Amino acid sequence: MKLEIGRINIKDIQFGDGTFVQDGVLTVDREGLTAFLKEDERVAGVRLDIARPGEKVRIIPVKDVVEPRVKIEGTGAGFPGVTAKPSQCGQGRTHVLYGAAVVTVGDIVGFQEGVIDMWGEGGRWTPFSKTCNVTLDLQVVDGLDTHTHEETIRLAGLRAAEFIGLAGRGAEPDEVLTYEMGGIFEETEKYPNLPKVLYAEMMITQGLLHDTYIYGVNAQTILPALMHPHEELDGAVISGNCVAACDKITTYQHQNNSVILDLFAQHGKEINFMGVVMVPEHTTLSGKLRASDYTLKLAQMLGADAVVVSEEGYGNPDSDLLMICKKCENAGIKTVLITDECAGRDGMSQGLADTASEAVAVVSTGNVSHVVTLAPAERVIGNPESIAVLAGGWKGALLEDGTLMCELNAVIGSTSEIGYHHVTCRQY
Amino acid sequence: MSEKFKVLYYVNQFFGQVGGEDKAGMPPEYRPQKVGPAMGFEGALRGEGEVVGTIICGDNYFNEHQKESLDFIKKTVKEASPDVVVAGPAFNAGRYGMACGELAKAMAEELALPVVTGMYAENPGVDVCKNKAIVVGTSDSAAGMRKALPAMAAITVKLAKGIELGAPEKEGYIARGMRKTLFEEKRGSLRAVSMLLARLKGEEFETELPMPVFDQVEPAPAIRDLSKATVALCTSGGIVPQGNPDGIQSASAQKWGKYDVSGLDGLPAPGFYSTHGGYDTAYANENPNRVAPLDLLKEFAKEGVIGKVFDWFFTTTGTGTSVSNAQKFGKEIGAILKEAGVDGVILTST
Amino acid sequence: MQRTIVTNNPAVWDKYSANALFIEGSAEQVLIRVRDMVHQGYELISHPLPASLRIMFSPYRSVIIGEKRGAADHLEAEIAEESIWKYRQKMSSREIDAGNNADYRLIDLLLLDAALKEDQGGGQPPG
Repeated sequence: MKLEIGRINIKDIQFGDGTFVQDGVLTVDREGLTAFLKEDERVAGVRLDIARPGEKVRIIPVKDVVEPRVKIEGTGAGFPGVTAKPSQCGQGRTHVLYGAAVVTVGDIVGFQEGVIDMWGEGGRWTPFSKTCNVTLDLQVVDGLDTHTHEETIRLAGLRAAEFIGLAGRGAEPDEVLTYEMGGIFEETEKYPNLPKVLYAEMMITQGLLHDTYIYGVNAQTILPALMHPHEELDGAVISGNCVAACDKITTYQHQNNSVILDLFAQHGKEINFMGVVMVPEHTTLSGKLRASDYTLKLAQMLGADAVVVSEEGYGNPDSDLLMICKKCENAGIKTVLITDECAGRDGMSQGLADTASEAVAVVSTGNVSHVVTLAPAERVIGNPESIAVLAGGWKGALLEDGTLMCELNAVIGSTSEIGYHHVTCRQY
Repeated sequence: MSEKFKVLYYVNQFFGQVGGEDKAGMPPEYRPQKVGPAMGFEGALRGEGEVVGTIICGDNYFNEHQKESLDFIKKTVKEASPDVVVAGPAFNAGRYGMACGELAKAMAEELALPVVTGMYAENPGVDVCKNKAIVVGTSDSAAGMRKALPAMAAITVKLAKGIELGAPEKEGYIARGMRKTLFEEKRGSLRAVSMLLARLKGEEFETELPMPVFDQVEPAPAIRDLSKATVALCTSGGIVPQGNPDGIQSASAQKWGKYDVSGLDGLPAPGFYSTHGGYDTAYANENPNRVAPLDLLKEFAKEGVIGKVFDWFFTTTGTGTSVSNAQKFGKEIGAILKEAGVDGVILTST
Repeated sequence: MQRTIVTNNPAVWDKYSANALFIEGSAEQVLIRVRDMVHQGYELISHPLPASLRIMFSPYRSVIIGEKRGAADHLEAEIAEESIWKYRQKMSSREIDAGNNADYRLIDLLLLDAALKEDQGGGQPPG
């Protein structure tokens, strides 16, 4: 399978007539996009805005982030199974508006959090302060139930990314990245001496606001599924996860899954990267036992020497992570785990329960309870009342001058457990 | 030039130049001057701070009269109002380390004062205070004084000035167990792949979420026929014959003892008593079998439940005893039991 | 297969009262009751903790318990114990988010619905 990602570098975004890229500036047709989104009769109103790196802008509450793209050659246009007919992702050529993102905003329930600060201290903690963001604040028609409300906003974000992505059709990429990987036997024949490595990507799949979709299939119902790494990089996986701001995998992060990219970089050099197992995180213990057994079995069928396991969320998924780790290690398959930790405000309460003696190689993506101080914004996109939610739960978090103290919990992508960001914890 | 910050120093009787083991029972006293390591320490402050006085206290006194000792120290500290309290370094001296540890903990918790001390990593005092105070890692003997004082001084300067400390390995202190959130140059996924490659190549790698390490001992197989077994009794409850003939320490034991109990039906009081510090020994002294149940074992032997009670009884003190000493004692005692063909041993603690 | 929902969520009680054990108290008290039941031999069907931190702040918690067996399951007991420990650790620096009770009630109910559905489709013989 061969996939070309053509990056068209975007340095700025503006609204204008038509949607196109010129000299690195992306112009978005505001009316056109609004009308396109309103084709969905559940959409009552659309507020579009732009947030640029360095601007004193706060976006809150963020639901999802999506990278605008367009398929140039091959199957898998759009988000197959969701916004487009099912077709195979991961081959041909895809153009990416690199440096641009669609950010969906708006609460489905009152307690949502998820902040992106485009500047200053807050900006350091989120990877999405570096992208030029088109924000999408959607009002839905009255009387929608929460499931439908969530779906409406999820689809609008994906459709907006498709609409804007069309601007990449006529543009010449600044850089073309080529990913090529044959069948498992073919690759193993090519690299007979390289260790076989699998990536087990855990996904929150537990119900409303806690879902992940693969080709449109709600992954709550699946057994762990083997995927070609290209598929995820090409839009096969989308996020329906509206909580866990700090450690959820946004759709953008699926499209640019950093574990896949970093394993790819070693493919054929140090390792034989065999694929991705998408592992659902179930609520029931039997679901967890089954999924971890099944993941081990897939690894054994493929003869994997090692597995990188990334978690999504915090709480009950920690059990899945450790089950997979224990089962693989006991079967002689080496693991590296990626997870965040909850060490309390002062970092002094290390999570004993987060560990098992088999977990000898763990990457920590930071303490979710670490407190960050965010200066007042000049402009808030979304719902300013949500700022109180961020600060909610402890006194004195919202100071009189508008300075906000919140835990990393609330910052989008800050402790990304696919290791998308640079935050970590160290023993001090 | 700005005003110098003030340091109050704590040392034991030995480093306070009062005397050795014979003076270990001395109660704390305060001297408004620099004594022992406090002099070298002040020099290492390079004029930024001064030692206003030194508290000297006997190691045994502190451990046996902790509350009184701490009350005295707290009172002295309040009067001297130092910016930082510095204790030790205690190296691998268990009782001294416990004193520094308890003192550090009390100062930090009750007076919110920064405390700097120095200890060998295995000193039992480390665990008492490492999350409350800064413990500089030292060698296991006073030979490490010249290295320890500058590190302790450098950290003291930073604490006095409110400068954030760097990583433990850089500053030379023992990690407090705090999980500090910071940024890495490489993103998380890249660190995961690097760790993976190192693991696959059999190279060294360092996990970012270290787990507490427990010394796991494989249990011995069960005794098949207890009625034919020789069973020994061993305690870390400090039960010793009257007069403590081997001088087993009341805390931070440096040795263990073995005593012939073949002619006894139990451990009689007052023939035996507990020399153990750190718990109320009244009930143990009333009946030492409460800590080491020799009486019941002898009864079992009479009834034929077990074959025989081993002639020798083994004992030491558990409190403050370093892990390395405890391991050493265990190996030595184990070797004797094995040599004598003992089938099983009952280990009691307090 | 007998199922009991240990809950402090009135919305769950309204819908499942025939099969629910209502706890007049906090989410932590739900976790404690679940732990006690697991030690008594009841099967732990759903993990006592949510999958995200935000839901951890919820004042409501619903956990599915199965039938009573002879002895407690070691793994289940460990999970039930650790859940309390982890919950307390997280909440030690937080207060329960009380401003969004209606939404938390709803989401707790919907996540429970999903868990029950998963349980039915989870290879268990129909009861």
